[in-house]
Amino acid sequence: MKIRNSITLAASLLTFSGSAALAEEITVSAWGGFFEETLRDVIYPGFTEETGITVRSIAQPADQAWLTQLTNAARAKKAPADLSLVADEVFVRGQSIGLWAELDGGAIPNTKTLLDGFTKSSEDGKLQAVGALSWYTTFVTNTNAVADAPTTWAELWTRDWDGKLGLTSNANSGLMEATALTFFGGYEIMETREGLEKVIAKIAELKPQVQLWYRDEGQFQQSLEAGELVGGLYYHDVTMLSAMDGLPVVSTFPKEGGILGDAYWIVPRDSQNVEAAEKFINYMIRPDVQAKMARNLGTAPVAKRDSMDLTDEEFASVGSTGEPIRSQTHIHLREGDWLSDKYLEMISQ
Amino acid sequence: MKRALDPHLIGLFPLAMMSVFFLAPLAFMVVVSFYERDPLGFYNVAFVWDNYAKFFSSFYYTVSMRSLWSSSLGAIVVVLLAFPAMYIIVDMSRRWQLFWVILLLSLMCLSEVIIGFAWLILMSESSGIPKFLGWIGLWEDPRSLSPSFGAMLIGFITLGFSLVALMFYPQMAQRDRSIEEAALTLGTPPLRVFTKVVLPNFWSAIISSVVTMFVYFLGVFVMPTMLGRPQDWNMTVIITDKAVGDANMPLGAALSVIMLVFTLIIIGGLMLASRKKGAAS
Repeated sequence: MKIRNSITLAASLLTFSGSAALAEEITVSAWGGFFEETLRDVIYPGFTEETGITVRSIAQPADQAWLTQLTNAARAKKAPADLSLVADEVFVRGQSIGLWAELDGGAIPNTKTLLDGFTKSSEDGKLQAVGALSWYTTFVTNTNAVADAPTTWAELWTRDWDGKLGLTSNANSGLMEATALTFFGGYEIMETREGLEKVIAKIAELKPQVQLWYRDEGQFQQSLEAGELVGGLYYHDVTMLSAMDGLPVVSTFPKEGGILGDAYWIVPRDSQNVEAAEKFINYMIRPDVQAKMARNLGTAPVAKRDSMDLTDEEFASVGSTGEPIRSQTHIHLREGDWLSDKYLEMISQ
Repeated sequence: MKRALDPHLIGLFPLAMMSVFFLAPLAFMVVVSFYERDPLGFYNVAFVWDNYAKFFSSFYYTVSMRSLWSSSLGAIVVVLLAFPAMYIIVDMSRRWQLFWVILLLSLMCLSEVIIGFAWLILMSESSGIPKFLGWIGLWEDPRSLSPSFGAMLIGFITLGFSLVALMFYPQMAQRDRSIEEAALTLGTPPLRVFTKVVLPNFWSAIISSVVTMFVYFLGVFVMPTMLGRPQDWNMTVIITDKAVGDANMPLGAALSVIMLVFTLIIIGGLMLASRKKGAAS
């Protein structure tokens, strides 16, 4: 029985790797959890209906961990998925080692309704990534414990949080940028290591107030909803959806701005389904699909505002009109190892 | 001659499997630990000591001392608790013995994540022990008990208790009770019988279970991240952060090699000590 099971398993694995030949199925990966589930249940079926191409949805881990898997797979000339969502920094890292396939811009005409900057090309002008969605990280609080929502990032430092804040253990969460903007007058301070050390020292002042330096988002969300934590940095979209479900949480855009991150669709170099993947991307960036994603996922659209039928209210609920805080990707790329060491040292000492 | 050879031939198979699936990856890890880190990509084939140098020049040293401390403390505490517990259980009636053994076995079925989550809930101020203490009036302002070093240690103990207890079970159940009875008949107080007769008989079993638990706790990942504070994160957590989180395989490999060497030295030292003790008595 055991042997038969493993034969079936081996056979299904073979079918999986050989699915390229069929070409009528594509494997799409997205960040696991609510995000991947909603895309699978609400967004992808529309694509299958229109094109007849079935979508096999899989969950991918956080950015760097997924990049490591993609890199290892590329060494074995395999693509774990035909399409993946990547953040800016992961795109650049992958590009530098040639992980991404070239896309045919002509097959993705909907790029014309995208906001500026949401197509990424290689140095010789070949299209390699197309914007998928944007998301905000904001100041979230538990409404039972915190009556009035914060108005500025500085309140992380000035208010008494009863030692119940939750922040990410990752240097690239945008907290450094928010700190630089709030206390040091802009991102310039992050250009030098001395400056970065000053920013980290400022964040270190928060340590007595922080109960959880999370690496697992689920743990933060659960603790915030239960009131174990009273505030912290978290995703605007998920918090909005929890609040709509009646949970005592609220997401606030501080006056300095929310932290905006962009995700792109990429096709791993060894994918055999590039054409189907291009159709998929073209569908996903279409204004009506972008609007549908904003309504169901709470993410900020990457299509031009006037191309979509979102009401002002709907638009306001997924973002803010002010200048957002942007991750200083070039600094994280340049100082990556040094910075992540310093940050880890700060929180774990 | 042929008869003696057959069992050896059978033994060749697991030996070959070990070499291919355990020693080869281990060797590859050692090789990678000398590779050069490529900040943008993965790694470049090279021979550099940079990754090892990092260990001695930064806080990785502190972290490894910290993990040695927490896992040795956890190992000692869990054996201190499990040994007397088993000593009591084996003297129970057959039925109760069976009950406890089955309970311990079923504890082993629980995964680390489940145990971690269970403790997380039990120690939370909104639904666990603190809430209960607040409710009966013993704790005025109940606070969450995790994350903390104590919470992490409790997680360690839950994880290792049944394992250690069951390791002691066969030897303890079958021990020659007549020696203890003789000592008691000759007028030795029960406590003295325990320390002078029972303990020395189990000395090597105790040492080997401490060593086993120590190595086990060194590699635990979920408990420190779930129940511990960042100050309690052990080397396993940091290695995962570096190797998977930052895609810095060479550094991750170098840190793993260093931890492996540390572990081997400590196990060797303990084994040597217990052998000397055994030879002396």
